[in-house]
Amino acid sequence: MSIADKLIQSRQWMMEGWSPSEPAHTEEEGGCGVTGFACSIPVGGKHIYEPSVQMHNRGNGKGGGIAAVGLVPEQMGVTREILDNDYILQIALLDPKCLNTVEAEFVTPMFDVHHSQSVPHVEDYREIDGLDVRPPDIQRYFVKPKKDVLAKFAQERGLVGLGERDIEEEFMYQNAFALNTQYYAALGDKQAFVMSQGRNMIILKIVGYAELIVNYYQLDDFKAHVWIAHQRYPTRGRVWHPGGAHPFCGMNEALVHNGDFANYYSVCEYLAQRNIKPLFLTDTEVSILVFDLWNRVYKYPLEYIIEGLAPTSERDFDMLPKEKQEVYRRIQQGHIHASPDGPWFFIIARNDVENDAFQLLGITDTAMLRPQVFALQDGEVQIGLVCSEKQAIDATLASLACEDSRFCTVADDYWNARGGSYTDGGSFMFTVKHQGDGTYKLNCTDKFGRERRAKSREQRTGDPVELASAVQGISSALTDVSGWSLFQVLRSASAGMSLEDFKAFCTRVAESAKTDPERAAAINAFTLMIDRRYQTGPNQRGRIVEAVNKALAAVLGGVPSITGEAASKYARIDWETRGMLRAPNGLEEVLVVNGHDFPPEGDECDARVVYEAYELGWKQFICHGYVGQRFLGVGLGPDSQGCVIDAYDSTGDYLASGLDGATVTVHGNAQDQLAQIMREGRLVVHGDVGQTFMYGAKGGTVYVKGNAAGRPLINSVGRPRVTINGTCLDFLAESFMAGDPLNGGGFVILNGVRLDEDGSVIDLDTPYSGSNLFSLASGGAIYVRDPHMTLDNEQLNGGEYYELTDADWQLIKPYLEENEQLFDIPVSRLLTVDGTEMDPSKIYRKVAPAQKKVAAAAATAADDDVMNNDEESDE
Amino acid sequence: MAITVDPHRPIRPDHDLGLSVPKREVKPAPDRWRNQLGKYRVWRYEELCKKCGKCAEICPNGVHVRPEGYAGFVRPLESKCTAETCKKNGTYCVDNCPQKALRTEVLPLYKSLGDFRWTADLILSTWHMAETGELPEGELESEVGNSGGGFDKIRFKFPENGQRTNPDEISTAIPLNRREDGRPKITIDLPVYGGGMSFGSVSPVTILSKARAATAWNIFSCTGEGGYIDRLIPYKDHMITQVATGLFGVREETIRRARIVEFKYAQGAKPGLGGHLLGDKNTPAVAAMRGAVPGTSLFSPFPFHSVYSIEDHKKHVDWIRHVNPRALVSAKVSTPIDVDMVAVGSYFAGANIVHLDGSYGGTGAAPDIAKKNIAMPIEYAIPKVARFLVEEGIRDEVTLIVSGGIRTPWDMAKAIALGADGVVIGTPEMVALGCIRCGKCESGKGCARGIATTDAEMVKKMDIEWGTQRLINMLHAWRLQLVDILSRFGMSDVKELRGRTDLLRHLDYEEA
Repeated sequence: MSIADKLIQSRQWMMEGWSPSEPAHTEEEGGCGVTGFACSIPVGGKHIYEPSVQMHNRGNGKGGGIAAVGLVPEQMGVTREILDNDYILQIALLDPKCLNTVEAEFVTPMFDVHHSQSVPHVEDYREIDGLDVRPPDIQRYFVKPKKDVLAKFAQERGLVGLGERDIEEEFMYQNAFALNTQYYAALGDKQAFVMSQGRNMIILKIVGYAELIVNYYQLDDFKAHVWIAHQRYPTRGRVWHPGGAHPFCGMNEALVHNGDFANYYSVCEYLAQRNIKPLFLTDTEVSILVFDLWNRVYKYPLEYIIEGLAPTSERDFDMLPKEKQEVYRRIQQGHIHASPDGPWFFIIARNDVENDAFQLLGITDTAMLRPQVFALQDGEVQIGLVCSEKQAIDATLASLACEDSRFCTVADDYWNARGGSYTDGGSFMFTVKHQGDGTYKLNCTDKFGRERRAKSREQRTGDPVELASAVQGISSALTDVSGWSLFQVLRSASAGMSLEDFKAFCTRVAESAKTDPERAAAINAFTLMIDRRYQTGPNQRGRIVEAVNKALAAVLGGVPSITGEAASKYARIDWETRGMLRAPNGLEEVLVVNGHDFPPEGDECDARVVYEAYELGWKQFICHGYVGQRFLGVGLGPDSQGCVIDAYDSTGDYLASGLDGATVTVHGNAQDQLAQIMREGRLVVHGDVGQTFMYGAKGGTVYVKGNAAGRPLINSVGRPRVTINGTCLDFLAESFMAGDPLNGGGFVILNGVRLDEDGSVIDLDTPYSGSNLFSLASGGAIYVRDPHMTLDNEQLNGGEYYELTDADWQLIKPYLEENEQLFDIPVSRLLTVDGTEMDPSKIYRKVAPAQKKVAAAAATAADDDVMNNDEESDE
Repeated sequence: MAITVDPHRPIRPDHDLGLSVPKREVKPAPDRWRNQLGKYRVWRYEELCKKCGKCAEICPNGVHVRPEGYAGFVRPLESKCTAETCKKNGTYCVDNCPQKALRTEVLPLYKSLGDFRWTADLILSTWHMAETGELPEGELESEVGNSGGGFDKIRFKFPENGQRTNPDEISTAIPLNRREDGRPKITIDLPVYGGGMSFGSVSPVTILSKARAATAWNIFSCTGEGGYIDRLIPYKDHMITQVATGLFGVREETIRRARIVEFKYAQGAKPGLGGHLLGDKNTPAVAAMRGAVPGTSLFSPFPFHSVYSIEDHKKHVDWIRHVNPRALVSAKVSTPIDVDMVAVGSYFAGANIVHLDGSYGGTGAAPDIAKKNIAMPIEYAIPKVARFLVEEGIRDEVTLIVSGGIRTPWDMAKAIALGADGVVIGTPEMVALGCIRCGKCESGKGCARGIATTDAEMVKKMDIEWGTQRLINMLHAWRLQLVDILSRFGMSDVKELRGRTDLLRHLDYEEA
C-alpha cells in the first residue's frame, strides 16, 4: 500500500457521522481583503498593521486574522533548535475555563511540552478601539509527540513504516481533528479549537479588523519573515468568535482566501472520499484541506498543487510542452473535482521545512475574478508582496522604509497574474531561503519555477554630475515652465549622482520653487521623472522615484493653503482644511488636494471635495498622497470638458468612472474598475490598469502605458478609442459593441510592448496570451501589433483577423502619435521589427466581427426613429 | 446607420405634446380592439330575432345594445357575457328569448388563452380591472391561477364575523427607506411598483404609460437597462434608474436624477443569465440610446463583471452613492438557496431596498429552460429572508420588496403576509395593456400587440393616454382588493399585515 493510501486509510475513524445526503451548510461569506509579504529579514508585526488598515473597506470588521512564519527564537522564549523542530500548537480558548480539561485530554498525555505560555495580550480588550468581541485566550505549546504515543498511533492506524516526520505530522493532524470535533464542531457550545500547529509559524484571529490583532496581542515588534493578513467580510451580522476567520492552517502553512466557491459541496465530497471531513464549514477550510492532502499525503510538488487548484485548460493547455501536458492531464483527471470553481484568490504563508525555507504564495483563479497585485523589491534586503489592492503594498513598504532605510517606498516591479495561464500559471511564490550562514535571501518564481527578477540594475554610470554645479543650474532650469529643462537636468543627475546627492538635489529643487512659474516647472519636471523611464546609472529606479515623490510632495505642500487669501495660482486643501473649501479667487486656478488622510469612500471622501470644488468653479486639480482612495473624477457629471485632474501615488478603484468630458491623468499604476461607463473625455495612465477597465464604457480617448488586467473594455459600446501599450490578461473587449471604427465607432490598439528600465521599447513574446480575444463582439475593432503573427484563431470567438488597410492605418496613426508624445514610445519603433522598419500592414492586424448577414432590422428600420416618430404622433 | 441623440435637446413637458397630466382617477378604458376577447361567444340569429328587446332588458352586463334611434342591435358585446351565472340567476338571455334567437358558447379562444399560471380568467380579470378600475365580479376566478403550487395553493384565513375596519381609514402606504442613513424618507402610496423594462424590450409608449401611472399613484416605475429616454425626465421623481450588468445607457446624469437606483444583479426568471435583446428589436433608436450598433443582438453579461463578492458590491454601491448621495439603493437579486445571506449582505453593504426576484416571473424573452427551474419560488424565499432579517435584528431597517410571479392583488397581499413589505410587478402591467401571454416578446419585431416592440409601425398600435389609464385603473382595483382584505382582518394599515404567516394556510399542508 502506498504511503498516501495508508494515510488516507488511517483517517477512517474521522468520517464517523458524516452523511453524504446531508452536507453541512457552509458559512457564507463574500470576498475579502488579503495582503501578505515575505522578507529576507524578519520584521515586526507593525508592518502588517498598515496594509491591513488599507484593506479595511474590503472587510467589515467581523473577522480578521494574521499569520507569521519564520519567527525569532528569542522572542518566542525557546532555543533555535526547539523553534525549528517543535510544533507550535496554539489552542484558542473560547471558554477560558476549559483550559485544564483540553490540556488533560489533548496535550499532556500526547506531547513532550518544551515550552508553554499563554499568548500575551492587552489586559482589557475594550481599551482597543473597534474591538467589540473579546478575542480568545490562546495557549501556546512547543511540542513534540511522545515517542511511545507515536509508536502506538502508528501501530493502531497502520502507519508503521512511514517516515518519522510523516507519522508525527499525521498525529498532529488527527489529534487536532479530535480536539476540534469535541470542543468546536460537536453540538453544544463552542469552547476551543486549534488555531495553528505548524512549525515555526503561528496564526492569530479575532472578531474585528485584522490589524487589531497586532494591538491586542502586542505584536508591534514581534518579528517574522513572512506575514499575511486577512480582512473578512462575513455576510452575517452577528459573529461572536473567530472560528471561521482566516487564515486556516494546514500543517506548516496558513492560507487566506478572497472569494467564494460555487462547488463547495463537490470539493467536500472529494475530500470525504479521502476520509477528510471539514469542521469549520468555510471555503477557506476546505481549500487548505485540499492543499494539505496534495502536499502531505500525495506529496505533490508545489507546481502540481497549483495545477490542481487552477487547472490549465483550452488554448493555454495546448501551448504547454508535451511532457507538461501529460502530467497535467493526469492531475486534472484525478483532481478536477477538488479544483475550486468561482472567484478565488489564495495567499499562503508556509514553512517549507524540507527545503529550509519560508514561502509566500499567491494563486489566482483561472478567470481572474478577484483582484490581486504582486510586487518585488530587490536590494540589500529583498521583499516580495502580494495584496488585493496596490495601496496595501505601498503601505507595507512605507511602513518598512520608515523604520529601516534599506527598504524603499517604491517596489521595483508590480504585476498581475492570470490563473491557469501557460505563461506563468497565475501564481508566484516568494521563497526566503536560508543561506547557511544565518542570513536569508529571497527570490521569486512562477508556477513553473522560472525566476522573476526585479529588473536587473544597469551598472553603467552616466556622466558624473556634481551636486554643487547642478544646484547652481536650478534657477535657470526653473524658468522653463514646461519643466522640460529641469527634467533633463534631473534625469542626468539620476544617473550621474550618488543617491544621497540626488536626494539632496531634489530637495534643493523643491526649496527653490517659490513663485508660481517655478512651481509649475518643478511640478512638471518631477512629473516627467515619475512618468518616464530613463537610465538611472547605479541608482535603483525605485529609489529615484522615491526621492522625486518626496520632493514633489514638498512642492505641493508648499503652496498656500485654501484657508488663506488667494495669493497664488495654486491653493492647497487637505483633510484638516476640507471644510474651508471655497470658490477660486483672483489668481487661483489649480487646487492641490492632498488625499492622504481622507476616507477611501463615502460622503467625506476626497473625491467629493474634488467634485464640490468643481461645482464651485475649480477646473484644475492636482491630487496626491493617495493610499487607495476611490472614485476620483467620479460625479463631475456630463460635459465636464475643461476639467483637468492629475493624480499621483496609489489611486484607488473606480477612478474616472462615468467620466464625461474631463481629462484625468494617473501618474503611476492605476487600480480596478477604471473608467467604467466613461462617455467622453480623456484618460491617461502612466502605468498599468486593473480589472474590468472601461467596463460598459461608451466613449472617450484613453492611453495606457502598461498592461490591463482581466476583462478590459467588456461590454463597451459607442466610440471608445483606447491605446494599450502592454498586454491584457484575458477577455479583452468581450461583447464589444462599438460600431464601425472607420465610421465613428470605437477600437482598441494593443501594442504588446514594454519599456525596460532605461526606457527602451521591448517587444513582448506575444501581444496577448489570453484565450479569449474579442469574444462575442458585434462591433468595433482591435488593432493589435503582432508582427510575428503569434495570435491564432483559437483565441477568437466570433471575431476574425483582417489585414490592416490604409484607412485603418490613417485612423490609428494619430492615436499612436499622441501615444508617442505621452509615453515616449515612438511610432517608428513600433513599426520596427528586428531592426527593420516595415509597412504598418505587416505590423498591425485588425480583429473585427466576423462578416455575417446583417440582421434584417438594421436595413429596414434605418429610417424609423421610434422616439421621434412617436413624439410627432402625439403632437 | 446610427442616430445620435443630442444630449442638449430641450425636454418638453408632455402637456406640450398634448398629453394630459396623469391623475389618480378611474376612467373607462375599453379594449383597443373592436371585438374584445371574453369567455363567451354570443350569437344572434337575425332571421329569428323580432327585436323585442327582452334580452337587453334582462342582461345584467349590457351585452345586448340597441343604439338609440335604431331598430336593430349591434353585434353582442360578448366579452361582458356571464352565461353560466345568468343561467343560475334566471337572467340568461338564451332562456328568456321568446324567439330562441340567441345562443352562447364558451369561446374557443378562451380555452386556449393563457396557461396554468396565468389562466384565461386571470388575464380577463386583469383586463376588466384595467378597463373599469373595479374588481371583477361574476364568474371569473380572479384570485388564483391553476399552477398547482405557489400562491395558488395559499389562502387567507379570514376571521368569521370579525370586526371590519372602515375602508376609508385604511392606509396602503409603505416607506422605502427604513434606515437612519440621512437619505430621504420616501413613501409610496401603494405597496407595489413597476418593474424594469428596457427601452428596446418594450416600446416607449409602454414605458411612458408605466411611468405616468406610477406618477399618478405616487409609486415608482423603473427604466430597465436600456437607458433613460428623454421623455421620461418629466416623471423622474417616480422613475428608478436601473444599473444592470450591461451598463447600457447608464450615465452619471441618469444616476443623479433618480431618487432610487436599482442594481440588477440577477433576475429570478433567469438567474445565471444576462439579458438579451435580439437584433431585430435593436432599431437605430434603441441602439442610439445604448450607444450600440443597430441590428446587432445585445447581450448583458451575468453577473456584473466588477462585482464578484460582497465587498465588490459595497464598492459598487459606494460608487453610485458618490454620484448621487441622495439616492436610495435597491439591490435586485434572484433567489438562490442562500438568498437569506445575500439579502443580509446587501443590507450591510448599504442597500435600502432588498428586492428578491423569484422564479415565476419572466416574459417570453426568458428561456423556458430557466423559467421556474433555477431560482427558488418566491413564496419560499420571502419567509426565509424575512426570518433571517429578524434574527439578525435588522428587519425594521430593510425594505423587502419581492417580485417574480405577482399576478394579482391577492398575490401581493399573500407576499406581504409572508413577510415582504411590498411587491414589484411586471407581467400584470403588460396584461393590463393587452398582453395575451403569447410569449413571443423577444422574437422578430416583437409583440404583435405593440407592447413589447420597438418597431415604429407596431408602436403606433397603442396610445399613451390609453396605456396610462389602463394602468391607473388596474392599480385602483388592486388597491380596492387590498383594502378589502385588510378590512376583513380588521387592520387599518398594510404594514400590519407584514409577516402575518399565521393568517395564511397552504392547501397542501393542511391537517385533515
